[in-house]
Amino acid sequence: MRKVAVVGIGHGKFGVRSDASLRELAFEAVKACLDDAGIPLKEVDSMVTGIAGDEFALGLQPSAQVHDYIGFHPKPNFRVEGACATGSIALRTGIMNVASGLADVVLVVGVEKMTEVPTSIATEIMGKAGDSIWEYPFGTTFPGYYALIANAHMAEYGTTEEQLAMVSVKNHYYGSLNPYAHMQKKITLEKALTSFTVAYPLKLYDCSLITDGAAAVIIASEERAKVISKKPVWIVGAGLATDTLRLGDRKSLTSILAAREAAKTAYKMAGVGPSDIDVATVHDCFTIAEIVAYEDLGFCEKGEGGKLIAAKETYVGGRIPVNVDGGLKSKGHPIGATGVSMAIEITKQLRGEAGERQVKNPEIGLAHNVGGTGQVVAVHIFRRE
Amino acid sequence: MDFKNFSLNISQTKVNRFVDELSAGKFMATVCKKCGKNYYPPLADCSNCMQSDMEWKQISGEGTLVTFTKIHVPPEHFAVRQPLMPFSSIQFEPCPIGLLEVEGGLKIMGWIPKGDVKKIKVGMKMKASPFTLPDGKVTIILEPI
Ligand SMILES: CC(C)(COP(=O)(O)OP(=O)(O)OC[C@H]1O[C@@H](n2cnc3c(N)ncnc32)[C@H](O)[C@@H]1OP(=O)(O)O)[C@@H](O)C(=O)NCCC(=O)NCCS
Ligand SMILES: [Zn+2]
Repeated sequence: MRKVAVVGIGHGKFGVRSDASLRELAFEAVKACLDDAGIPLKEVDSMVTGIAGDEFALGLQPSAQVHDYIGFHPKPNFRVEGACATGSIALRTGIMNVASGLADVVLVVGVEKMTEVPTSIATEIMGKAGDSIWEYPFGTTFPGYYALIANAHMAEYGTTEEQLAMVSVKNHYYGSLNPYAHMQKKITLEKALTSFTVAYPLKLYDCSLITDGAAAVIIASEERAKVISKKPVWIVGAGLATDTLRLGDRKSLTSILAAREAAKTAYKMAGVGPSDIDVATVHDCFTIAEIVAYEDLGFCEKGEGGKLIAAKETYVGGRIPVNVDGGLKSKGHPIGATGVSMAIEITKQLRGEAGERQVKNPEIGLAHNVGGTGQVVAVHIFRRE
Repeated sequence: MDFKNFSLNISQTKVNRFVDELSAGKFMATVCKKCGKNYYPPLADCSNCMQSDMEWKQISGEGTLVTFTKIHVPPEHFAVRQPLMPFSSIQFEPCPIGLLEVEGGLKIMGWIPKGDVKKIKVGMKMKASPFTLPDGKVTIILEPI
């Protein structure tokens, strides 16, 4: 397999973007990404677009809108989807293109315009990313699925609502320092704990946001990366794993087994372990998901995730800083863009360009992106030279 | 019976019999005749041995609650103003849901009508029962035993 590096990053402003359409959002990120890489679009061989929902885009083949709008004809574009892991699956597809030699330089774009539909419809669309036939008839929603996981985790390990809220306080704190974040607002523990219940025990501040936004990266082969970038960030580990569609068929409700599997593959490929990771972005679509991610990625023992956040070990300066870009919680979660945005944050951190949120001199970073209720998980490991 | 009466979404499946039995008060799983694997929800095909020779089997609804929640922000389909919300005509409160582990490790999802989330506990013994709504749709409820 050929080596692959990130050579360009471009992040659009996340938020309720009533000023822009899907394709216009994507353009912002692509333009920023080309500027960062310092190459014209014609030097890109191929493109991968991650858009999770035709339902949000209100039509089939939404990636063609993006491909057309940036004027990438006649070169190829692949659209991928995997619910909330769409962005990381797009990245993986890009890596496959470069690693195989099919392309030398690939543009990976993730974008979603979620607020095109009202919250109740968005909730329905996402709820059906569980099993639309066997779970959805019970009114399941995404907060609902993760609430099922939260109650199981709380019953088994004594994880508390306060510990969940602490994840939110941390991620809002870092989101307040991230100019691209949807919600740049610090919050108190009390505010999180007294917010209204969305799906018991998860409250408003336990939930990620419904967000519009786009993110793009350019990845390249070793030969091209060395020419394009002074600070290439190498993708040294890539794991993708899957589990059952229905929560009820899972072997565990307190762990996302696909995440454990994907992490195992990525760690092995990179030749590193959890203690080697200097900075991570994990899939905090709900606060409980971040706590479960700490455990699944090996940042702490099973059941100790609540204690890890309570000890502030996942802040900058702690044992393993996590989601210091604000995470899905405060940066926002435009489904298709999220995985790409995670890769951007890790690249920034490894380049030393994260400003106020910078972790001290990191060498190895990890991104963990969960799709569905844990049906598909991608883990990537990045390393600077 | 149209499968939509249970699923709300799709009308047709090879396991339509599930809703007929449910409306007659029975919980049915399917069993692979070759490898013996049990499926609930009932599936028409066995992915364990890639064949489709299945038989129906009634299962008991008694089991242990493995988890639960109460969804306060419902999907459009279930918004209280719409008649599709099970129990919306009975109680104007969102209704908790739970996942019950029954015989053979199979898990049944169901509504917990009038359940108080502060009193519902993981590990509780409960029984799942078919339930026909006033509009003729069929669903599943979980009640303490
Ligand atoms: C929780 C949720 C239902 C709230 O949506 P909503 O009821 O439409 O909220 P509104 O847009 O009306 O916003 C009401 C207020 O709450 C704020 N808000 C909305 N969602 C928020 C969130 N997740 N966290 C914190 N504040 C939030 C809004 O900014 C707004 O504040 P303002 O009144 O000061 O302007 C929605 O954010 C949600 O569904 N989140 C989960 C998304 C999801 O499932 N993603 C997939 C995960 S894998
Ligand atoms: Zn079989």
